[in-house]
Amino acid sequence: MLSYAIKRVMQLIVTMFGVVTLVFFAIRMIPGDPAAAMAGDNLSGAALEEFRQRLGLDAPLWQQYTDYIQSVARFDFGSTITTSLPIAGLMLKALPITLMVAGLTVLLSVLIAIPLGTLAAFLANKGKKKLDNAITWTAMVVDLMPAFWTALLLMLFLSLNLRLLPASGTVSLEDPMLMLKRIALPVLVLAISQVATLARITRTAVLEVLNEDYVRTARSLGMSEIAVVFRHALKNAMLPIITVVGLSFGNLLNGTVIVEFIFSIPGIGTLLVYGINSRDYPLVQNVILFYAFVFVAINFITDIIYKKVDPRVQF
Amino acid sequence: MTNSKGYADRNQYGKDSCLHEAVFFSQNEEEEGLNVKQEAVAGTIGQPIAPAQPRIQISYMRFLYVNKNAKWAMLILLPILLLAFLAPALPLQAPLESNIRASLNAPSLEHPFGTDKLGRDVLSRTLSGIKVSLFVGFSVALIALAFGIVLGTVSGFFGKTTDRMIMGVVDIFLAFPSLLLAIGLVAILGAGTVPVICAIALSDVPRFIRLQRSLVLSLKSRTYIDAARTVQAPQIWLMAKHIVPNTIAPLLVAASIASANAILIEASLSFLGLGILPPEPSLGNIIKDGQMYLQQAWWISTLPGAVILLIAISLHFLSDGIREELDPRARK
Amino acid sequence: MDKGAAAGTIDRNADIPGSANQPLLQVRDLHTHFFTESGIVKAVNGVSFEIQRGERLAIVGESGSGKSAMAMSLIQLIAYPGKLVSGSVRLDGKELVGLSEAELNKLRGSAIGTVFQDPMTSLDPVMTIEEQMVLPIRKHLKLGSKEARKHALGLLNQVGIPDADKRISSYPFEMSGGMRQRVMIAMALSCKPKLILADEPTTALDVTIQAQIVELLKTLTETTGSAMMFITHDLGLVARFAQKVAVMYAGKIVEYGTVDEIFNSPRHPYTQSLLKTIPSVSGEKRVRLLQIQGFPPDMKLPIIGCSYKERCPAASERCNNDSPELMPRQGRQLAACWLKNGLMTEGYESITTQLSRGELNALTKQERVNTADAAGVITTERSALPVGANEGDATRINAFVADDANIVLQITDLHKHFKKTSMLPWKKDSEIRAVNGISFKLRRGETIGIVGESGCGKSTTARMLLKLDEPTGGRIELNGNIQIVFQDPYSSFNPKMKIAEIISEPLDVRKIGTKEEKQLIVRELIQKVGLDPSYLERYPSQLSGGQRQRIGVARALALNPTVVVADEPTSALDVSVRAQIINLLCDLKEELKLSFVFISHDLSTVRYISDKIAVMYLGEIVEYGAAEEIFVNPAHPYTKALLAAVPVPDPKIEASRSIELLKGELPSPAAPPAGCAFSSRCPQVTVLCTERKPALQEYLERREVACHAVS
Repeated sequence: MLSYAIKRVMQLIVTMFGVVTLVFFAIRMIPGDPAAAMAGDNLSGAALEEFRQRLGLDAPLWQQYTDYIQSVARFDFGSTITTSLPIAGLMLKALPITLMVAGLTVLLSVLIAIPLGTLAAFLANKGKKKLDNAITWTAMVVDLMPAFWTALLLMLFLSLNLRLLPASGTVSLEDPMLMLKRIALPVLVLAISQVATLARITRTAVLEVLNEDYVRTARSLGMSEIAVVFRHALKNAMLPIITVVGLSFGNLLNGTVIVEFIFSIPGIGTLLVYGINSRDYPLVQNVILFYAFVFVAINFITDIIYKKVDPRVQF
Repeated sequence: MTNSKGYADRNQYGKDSCLHEAVFFSQNEEEEGLNVKQEAVAGTIGQPIAPAQPRIQISYMRFLYVNKNAKWAMLILLPILLLAFLAPALPLQAPLESNIRASLNAPSLEHPFGTDKLGRDVLSRTLSGIKVSLFVGFSVALIALAFGIVLGTVSGFFGKTTDRMIMGVVDIFLAFPSLLLAIGLVAILGAGTVPVICAIALSDVPRFIRLQRSLVLSLKSRTYIDAARTVQAPQIWLMAKHIVPNTIAPLLVAASIASANAILIEASLSFLGLGILPPEPSLGNIIKDGQMYLQQAWWISTLPGAVILLIAISLHFLSDGIREELDPRARK
Repeated sequence: MDKGAAAGTIDRNADIPGSANQPLLQVRDLHTHFFTESGIVKAVNGVSFEIQRGERLAIVGESGSGKSAMAMSLIQLIAYPGKLVSGSVRLDGKELVGLSEAELNKLRGSAIGTVFQDPMTSLDPVMTIEEQMVLPIRKHLKLGSKEARKHALGLLNQVGIPDADKRISSYPFEMSGGMRQRVMIAMALSCKPKLILADEPTTALDVTIQAQIVELLKTLTETTGSAMMFITHDLGLVARFAQKVAVMYAGKIVEYGTVDEIFNSPRHPYTQSLLKTIPSVSGEKRVRLLQIQGFPPDMKLPIIGCSYKERCPAASERCNNDSPELMPRQGRQLAACWLKNGLMTEGYESITTQLSRGELNALTKQERVNTADAAGVITTERSALPVGANEGDATRINAFVADDANIVLQITDLHKHFKKTSMLPWKKDSEIRAVNGISFKLRRGETIGIVGESGCGKSTTARMLLKLDEPTGGRIELNGNIQIVFQDPYSSFNPKMKIAEIISEPLDVRKIGTKEEKQLIVRELIQKVGLDPSYLERYPSQLSGGQRQRIGVARALALNPTVVVADEPTSALDVSVRAQIINLLCDLKEELKLSFVFISHDLSTVRYISDKIAVMYLGEIVEYGAAEEIFVNPAHPYTKALLAAVPVPDPKIEASRSIELLKGELPSPAAPPAGCAFSSRCPQVTVLCTERKPALQEYLERREVACHAVS
C-alpha cells in the first residue's frame, strides 16, 4: 500500500504539473497576438503594449512560465482583465455556491441511486424482467438527456407552469431557506442525470456480484435474501461503485457549468462562461485549472478509498 | 470439465453499458481490460459440447438487421438521417428564411415543430442542425479511433519509455472534465464547426488511447500471441494479425458511445453560445434561442432537445448491439 | 408434487431391501429446466434416487450432464433462468419442493450443508472468515455471538486449520486454496448437517492437497454420521471415496449401484465405455484407449428414445423409439438400457471382444488412415515440395542418427529466476526461483513426462523451451524444431481467424510455400489429426473442445517439428475426449517419430504416454528416470506421496491402500525451505535435510534421485 500510495502521489504531482503547463501554453497558442486577442479591438499601439506589459506577456516565454508556476503554487491567480478584481477572490466567493450545488447533488443521487440500482439488480437476478427493464430503460433514457434540455423542461413545468420553485432571483448565503429553494431546481437537474448513471452502474455491479460463487455459498448457508444483498452483494459491489462515483464527478462538474448558466447562479461555472464571453483569458485559464485540480483530487481520493475498502490491498 | 452452471447464461441482461463506460472513462489501471475479458468467453459458455455453432463472427451488414439492439438503433437513426438529408427536397421553409409575420407559431401542419421569434421554421432548422450534430459526432469518433488505434497500440505494445511518455500526456488531458476541456479549447480556437470538432476530439482521443492500450495489454498476454511467438512471428505480424483485429469491435462500442457524447457536448457548447454560432442552426443554439420564449413557445426548445435524445439513444443501442455480438453472455 | 410416485421405476425402488428404514433423502422424478432465450435446456430430466443415512453417493458425469444442476435443485438454489419444474425431494420424509424460501433457508446450511468446487471464488473476498461463519451459526443454532465464535473455532480445528483462533479473523485471500476449501467444509458442517452436498470439492486443488481434503471429508462423514452426495468426473476419486455411484448422462441417471458393482460389472454401455477411456495407473501399459464417438445430445432438443443411442455401438431400433428407464439388474444395481448387460450382453460378443481389447476405436484410426490415403497424392506432393528448411532439418537429423546419440533436446542446468523489485528503497527485492537448475536429455521418438504440482516450474520450463521466456541461466540445445500444444486450445486460437488460417500461420510467418502449396499442407495436416477438411472454413468457436485440441496439434505439426511440448493438453477436456487426444498423440509419436515433452499433473496419463519421467518440486527435479520404474518403485518421498495421493479408478486397489498423506501445504517458491526444498513436508526428514540440499544422484540403473535418504 505504501509503495502504491507513493507511486500514486508522484503520479498526481506529475499530472498536476502537466495540467498547469498545458493551461499555460494553451493560452499562448491563441492564433495571432494573444495580447491583442485578449484586449479585443479597443486597444492599439502604445495602449496595447502597456496592456501586454501588465499581463507580463512581454517577458521571455520561460520566464512567464516560471512566474506562472510560482504564482499558482502561491494560489495567486492574478486579476481579471476587464474588472481588475483578484481572480482568487472571485473564485472564493463563487466556490461555496458551486460546492453546495454539487454536494447536495451527490448526496441526493447516492441516496436514491444505490437502493434503486440494487433493487433493479435484485429483480434481474430473480428473473423479474419487466420491473427491471422498466427501471433500466428509464435510467438509460434519463442518463442520455442533455442537462440543459432537462433544465429547460423542469423550468417549464415546475417553475413557469406550476410555480413551485423559482428559476431566477438572487442567490445569497445569508438566507439558507431561500438559497435552498433557489438551488433546488439546479440540484434536481443534476441529480436526475447522476441518479440515472449511478443506478445503472449499481445495477450492473450488484448483478455481477449476485452471480458470484460466494453469494451462492451464502445462500447455501441459509442466509436470507436481504442478508445476501446487503451483507455480500452491496459490500462487494461498492468497489466498482466508488470508482464510478469518482469518475461521474467529471460529468457533475460539466453539469454545474450548464445549470449555473441556465439558472443564473453565481458559481464557478458562471464565472467561466462570463470569462469566455468577455475574453478574459486569465480568468478562463484559472477557472479551468481549478476544475482540473478538483477533478484530479477527487479521482485521487476515490482511488485511495477504493484501496482502503478492499481488504485485498495490503498496508 | 466446465461446470454446468454455464447453462444459466450468467448476467442475462447485458443491456447495461455502464460498467463498460466506466472502463472506457476509467482513470484506474486496475479496472481496465474488463471488456476484453467479456470477449474472451465467446463460445465457451452456454453450449456444453456443440458440434457446430454458427455466428460469433460479426458480419457487419447482417448484424444491423439481426441484432435486436442494432435493429432498434437503425429504426431510429435511419429516418432521422433520411429526413435530415432530404430536408431541402421537403416542402419546408429554408432554415435561415425568416417570416416576421409568422413569429412564434405553434406546431401545425405547415410548421410541424412551430416557428421561432423570427418566424423561422423550427423543424427545418432542427433538420439542418441534425446534419451538423451527426457530422460532429462521426468526425469526433473517427478522429478518436484513428489516433486511439495508432497511439494506443504503440503504447501498449512497446511499453517502457514510449508508453510512459504517451500515457503521461494522456493523463494530463484526462485531468479535465470533458466539457470543460472543450470549453477551454473553444475559447482559444474560436467558435465554429471545425474548432468544436477539434475541441471535443481532443478530450476523446486520450480516452481512446487509454482504451486501446488496455485492450492491447490484455491481448498481449493471450495464449494465441504465445502461439505465434513460438514460430518467431515478428512484432509487426503480432500487431497486425492478432492484436489490432481483436480490438476493433470493442473500439467500435466505445466509438458509438463517444459519438453520442460528442453530439451532447456540441449541443452544450452551442447552448452556452460557445460552439456553433447563430444564424447557422445547430441543435444547441436552437434550444438556446427558445429559452427566452420558453413560456410562450415551448416547442422551440423542447422538440430539438427530444431529437438529440433520440440520436443519443440510438447510438447507445448500436453500442449495446455490438457489445452483445461480442459477448454471448450479454445476449438476451 | 408427488405425481412421480406412480412411475414404474419408483415402485421398483421402493422394493429395494433396506429401504424399509426410511432413506435420508428420496428424490423422485426431478426435472429442472433452464429457460434460455434460445430454448429450454432440460438440464435435469427425470432423476430419481435415494441416499441412506451416513452413505456416500458419488454422482459421475461429463460436463453438461446436469449433475451440478441436479445438486442445486435439491436445495433449490438454481440460478435464473433455471427452474425446478417438477418432482419431489424428501429429506427425512419431509417434502422440500414447494416449501417457502424462509422454510428452505432454515434447512440450507443446517440440515443440508454444501461444499462448492472452487474455494478461490466461493468465499466472500471482502469479509473475514469469522464474519462469514458466525452469522449462519447464530441463525441456525440460535447462539450468541461469543458462543457462535467458539463453535466456529471448534469447527476450524476439526477441519485441520492450524492456529484457528488467528486464522478466523483473516480474509480468504490470505489463505491457500486448500485452507479455503477446509473453511468451506467447516461452514458446510457448522450445524451438524444430515446431508452434505459436495460439488467437485477437490477439482480445483493440487493432487496432494486433494488427497488431504478427500481424507478429511471421509473421516468427517464417518465421525459425524452425515451422508454425502458428491459430484465428480474423476473416476479414481469415486473408487476411493464413494459407497454408491450414480452415473448421469444427458440429465438422467443411466446407472446406479454400489461402487464395486459399477467398477466390476457395469451394465450400461456408457459406464462400460467410460471405464475404458481412462489409462490405468497400474497393470498392463499402452493398451489403446477406448474413445467414445460423437457428442452428448443437445439438451435443448427433445430426446426421443435412449439419449445415448447415437454414441452406443449396440444401439438397436428399439433404442431409437423407446427411452429405457432405470431397471434393476443384479443386486441393487440399476441401469437404463434395454440390453441386460449393456455391451456385454450375449449376441453382442463382437463388440464385447473389441471392447475388452480396447479396439472399438480402431475403426477411427482406420478412417483416419483412409482419409489420409484419399489425399495420398497430396502426401507425395508435399514431400516433393521445395521446402528447404525441412530438408535441411532432415539431413541434420540423419547426421545426428549416425552419431548414435540421437539426442534432439538437451537442457543443462536451466534456471529461471523472477526478480521483484520494490519501489521502497528499504525493502529487499524478492526473488522467485521458478526453475532452479534442471537438466535432462530427450532422444528422438522419446517422450518425457514432467509431473508436479502447481508452482513446481513445469510450465515455466515449457515456456523457456519455446523461447517465450529467456532463461536466467543454463543452456537449451535443440536439434531441429520445437512446437507446442497448449492446455486450453480455445484461448490459443485467435477468435477472428479461420481454422485454415490458424493451421497455416506458422507457414505464413516463415514464408514457406506458395498459397496453393500451403493449402495442400493444411489439408494434409487436418486429416492427419483426424478431422474433415470441411472444418478448415470454420472458426474456433464453432468447434468442440476435442476438435479444437486436434487443431492445436495440427498447428504444432505444421513446421515438421522434432520435439512437441504438450502442456497439460488434456486437462481442459472431458474424460471421453481426453482419450481421443491421448490416442492421437500416441499415433503421431509412432508415425512421425516425434519426441514429446509431456507436462501434466495427471499421473495416469503421464504414465500412459511417457518413456521417461521427471518429477519436479519447487523448481527442481527430485526424481528422474524411466517411467515404468518410477511408477512401480518410486524412490523419492515426494514421488511416493504423489503416487499415493492419486486415486486409482479401482475400488479394490483403493480399499487395500493405506494412504500416507503429505503434511501441510506447498511452500511458496518465493520462500522455499532451507536445505532440501521438500524438507518441510517430508515424512523422512532429518536434520541434514534442513541444512544441506541433496544433489540429483544416480540411483539403481537409469534413475536419478535427489534425496539424502535414498542412496
